[in-house]
Amino acid sequence: MNGHVKNMHLQQLVEKAATLLCFLLLLAVDSTKTVAASRNQECGYDLQQTLRLSRQVHKETGNLIKKYKASEGEMAELFCKASISGIPDPNIYGLEPSERIASIYTQLQVFSPHLKRVHEQQMDLQPKSPLLNLINIVRDQSRRLTLRINNIYRIFFPNLPLPEPAGGPTTLPPPQNVFQQKVYGCVVLTTYKKLLTNISKDMRTLKSKVCRRAPASEFNFFR
Amino acid sequence: MFPQDRTVPVGANTTFCCIVEEGTDFKSILYGSTVMNVKRLSRRSYATTAVNQNISGKSGTNVVCLSNDPSKLTGAVIFVGYPPLLSKFECETRDLIIAECQWEEGRRTNLYRKNASRYSVNERDCPERQRCTLSQWEGNWTLLAVNPLGQDSLTDSAEVSHRVHPVAPVKLTPVAHAWNATVLWEWTYSSYSSLALVCQVELASHNTMLGNFSGVGLRSAVLLDLQPDEEYKVQVRCGSQKNFWKWGDWSKALSFKTKPYVPDAPDVWMWMNRDNTGLVVWKPLTRRQSHGQIVGYKVTLWNSEENEQHTEILSPESKVLPVNLTRWASFSGDNKVIATVNAKNVEGMSQPASVLLRLIDDEPPALAHTVYTSTGFPLSWQHNDNSTCGYLVEWCNALCTRDCPVDWIRLDAGNTNISVQSADFQPGVRYNFSLYGCPSDFPVLTHRWQGYMQELAPSSSVRLEITQQGCDVVLTWEEIPLAGRRGFLLGYNVYISNGSQLTRLANLDLGTRTYTKKGLSVSIHKFTVKAYTSAGEDTGGTASIRLESCDGLILEILASLGMVTLLLATVAYFCYKKRRWVKKAFYPDIPEPKLPGDWFRTQGPLDVKPPPHSMVHIIEKPERDSSKDALVVIPEEEEDDGEGIGDEPVDTDEPQSLRYYNQVVDERPIRPRFPDSSVSSSSSVDSANTDVTYTGIQTSCSSLVFRSDSQCSSEGFQPHTGFSVSSGDRGGGYQPQMQPVALGGNLASPEPLVEPQVVSSGGYKPQSSWLLDSPTETDEKISPPPSLGSPTSVASTQFLLPDSEEHEEERRQPSSSAAAWFTNLLSSAKP
Repeated sequence: MNGHVKNMHLQQLVEKAATLLCFLLLLAVDSTKTVAASRNQECGYDLQQTLRLSRQVHKETGNLIKKYKASEGEMAELFCKASISGIPDPNIYGLEPSERIASIYTQLQVFSPHLKRVHEQQMDLQPKSPLLNLINIVRDQSRRLTLRINNIYRIFFPNLPLPEPAGGPTTLPPPQNVFQQKVYGCVVLTTYKKLLTNISKDMRTLKSKVCRRAPASEFNFFR
Repeated sequence: MFPQDRTVPVGANTTFCCIVEEGTDFKSILYGSTVMNVKRLSRRSYATTAVNQNISGKSGTNVVCLSNDPSKLTGAVIFVGYPPLLSKFECETRDLIIAECQWEEGRRTNLYRKNASRYSVNERDCPERQRCTLSQWEGNWTLLAVNPLGQDSLTDSAEVSHRVHPVAPVKLTPVAHAWNATVLWEWTYSSYSSLALVCQVELASHNTMLGNFSGVGLRSAVLLDLQPDEEYKVQVRCGSQKNFWKWGDWSKALSFKTKPYVPDAPDVWMWMNRDNTGLVVWKPLTRRQSHGQIVGYKVTLWNSEENEQHTEILSPESKVLPVNLTRWASFSGDNKVIATVNAKNVEGMSQPASVLLRLIDDEPPALAHTVYTSTGFPLSWQHNDNSTCGYLVEWCNALCTRDCPVDWIRLDAGNTNISVQSADFQPGVRYNFSLYGCPSDFPVLTHRWQGYMQELAPSSSVRLEITQQGCDVVLTWEEIPLAGRRGFLLGYNVYISNGSQLTRLANLDLGTRTYTKKGLSVSIHKFTVKAYTSAGEDTGGTASIRLESCDGLILEILASLGMVTLLLATVAYFCYKKRRWVKKAFYPDIPEPKLPGDWFRTQGPLDVKPPPHSMVHIIEKPERDSSKDALVVIPEEEEDDGEGIGDEPVDTDEPQSLRYYNQVVDERPIRPRFPDSSVSSSSSVDSANTDVTYTGIQTSCSSLVFRSDSQCSSEGFQPHTGFSVSSGDRGGGYQPQMQPVALGGNLASPEPLVEPQVVSSGGYKPQSSWLLDSPTETDEKISPPPSLGSPTSVASTQFLLPDSEEHEEERRQPSSSAAAWFTNLLSSAKP
């Protein structure tokens, strides 16, 4: 009889504990949803700003290419169609958003020394040309874009380290003659513009895919 | 491609060689945008030569080797420029120690970066392009410029004292007074203290002045002839007084203001009205004259002999004081009243300015015309050698007559002409100018002029009055008021309005203000008179007049009336005298129908010719008015006239020849109406109530009434049955006139018609006994038998005339029926 009574009490305790556990679980799920929503807002804002910046850099690079062709002498439009080795790839790789953002970051980093080289070459060739100022503007904006991509990656993938560029530090072309410098500069700028086009497309895609998924648990980011 | 990055002088020739990759086809070589002639050197080598090359762009000239694969681009860049060329190399010193050398490029080399020119002075490299500083004054300098295309050099030598280029003075300080100021400054280098300097001071106020000051180590300058209470701006620069090389740099500008001073005496004048009132006027002091802020004016009127004085203090904006000299007891005599004006500012009172108050132009000189020019109104006069006084020219608007706002200008003695200019002059306004001698002591009016700055067309028009004098039109008008003239009037143009156009009649001089126009027709005339100046006409004064007839209008009317009366009297007299003729012509008597003697033998219509003597049988109806029932005997006077029927034998005893006119139906005067005569019998149907029965001879159709022929049989009885007689019936030989008479219900039944006829036609009884021989009438037994003398209306007094066609037709009718009718007639006529 006493054993039966004890079992009854135990059963009641278990039931109460189960009820409490369910309640706590509900609370946890609800709080998770709130955090995800706030993160979702932040995600949209960051990606939107990054998209806007990438478009701006893209536009400035387009202007720079026009000025570049105009300042390099006759038949300079042929330079941009040439194919030379050592120019970074404008494509973005990866299937997952984290991979693609990391790829964007890496590509921007790779292009930076090339832009610097173009600036140096033009400084040597035409020291007082207004082209130098335009190159500097694009380089500055490119730096800001790189930082922003880095920031986004760290926000959404805090536990994933940013991969370093494959193949180590960027390799620049060896000393060139003036003709090669002109061709090199035009190809670098044209390729960089393609990269910016791809970045803008990816940003739009990421924004539409990532920031509208309400539960954070469903993000690939948080796996 | 070879060569790469070559630098060549302008005009040189360069040969380029292109070696295409294995597996790639050569296409062409471009020098800039020029496709070059290419020489193939080997399987993959091609060469071209650019001759007499032009100067290249900043980034050089591109030489491109094109292949069939655009991605495999090879090429070279060539720089075409000039060797260095130098000019204007000189060295100077600022601090008397350091040498600063400068030069210019005589020609741009068009070479940049590592190809750019490199400079050195005395073998010391000069990093700056056109300037080099040497720490010591060496006295001799050599400048060398080198680039890949060549080099150039220049030399210079000088002593340090000959090449002093002073720096700008610093720390300028003013010490200002009312009429002068002192400017102090300092030098950056102490070495200047022993240097003989010449300094230039630029003083700017309303205009800019330059003053030179010199001295060893000069540090100040005194500026004279300044204006009190005036803003000034000053700058200083200096140079070496000995062996002047060049002016140093300008110092920073320094601003200061001089102190105020008592004002100048104002320029005073007066305007006197004829009633010994007037104005004391003075010109507001300019900034240069006021020497500070004017705080007011003191005006004193005084009489030196009577020692009578009156003072007023006026505000700084005042420039006029009205005066009334009649209040001054002493003014009526020869004593003089003098007005004195003092201006006052913060520094004190100005010197007094006086003017004698008196009416000057008692007998003003004649006004001469003056014509405005680009410099103003030119005025000139003869100089009085005895006079040592100056002059004053006064002007004002000519319209003004009292308390006029005059303007004036003072002239020194000896002047004999002036050109008066003022910003207040306006076009179209007449100005009067007066020249006074000795204006300050005892002003005397010597000359007067008047003129317009610009003459305009008059703004107002003449007031035109128009009157008729006899057959002429007289126009008169008054002068245009001075305000509306806006120029010197030259005359008047008189126009007459011809529709919308004006036709000028006359051009009158200024003194003529009346005009007479003669020879105008009697109608409305409109005239316009326009005054004109050298600038044109005014809009014109217009007046209209309706010109009345001017030569014996009443006489004409009376004469016309008399003639009309005379004419009427003549006509009346003539008509009276010839009244018979008139009656005959206009009111001819109705011819009597006459029956020819052998009328019964004629086959056509009867010729109705009333016999000379007719008999009338009157049957009176008792209930009718006797006056209406009376029968009128047709006068037989004119029966002989006409168509020769009067010659025919007429049986005057025959009752048939009688004709009656029933005045009950028609009370009009009886006149012959031939066309209606045929209806007289037929229309008797309508006049069923008539009491008259006549047995006059009917027309031919009447004679056919009793025929069996349907043509006329219908006419025989239709009247009695109330049926209308229709011409379309074609039953008779005549066109009966339809004169329907209301018969009431009697028309429905012929019965009522019968009785009166029977009663009234007692004298015609034999007629009623005639038998019908018309088969168409036999059925109508209730109707009285048709007869020649049947009761009938004589409303129509005209004879029925047969249509010619029917007449012919009737002529062809067999005479048998006529004979039968005649037989009946005779039988019935016999008692």
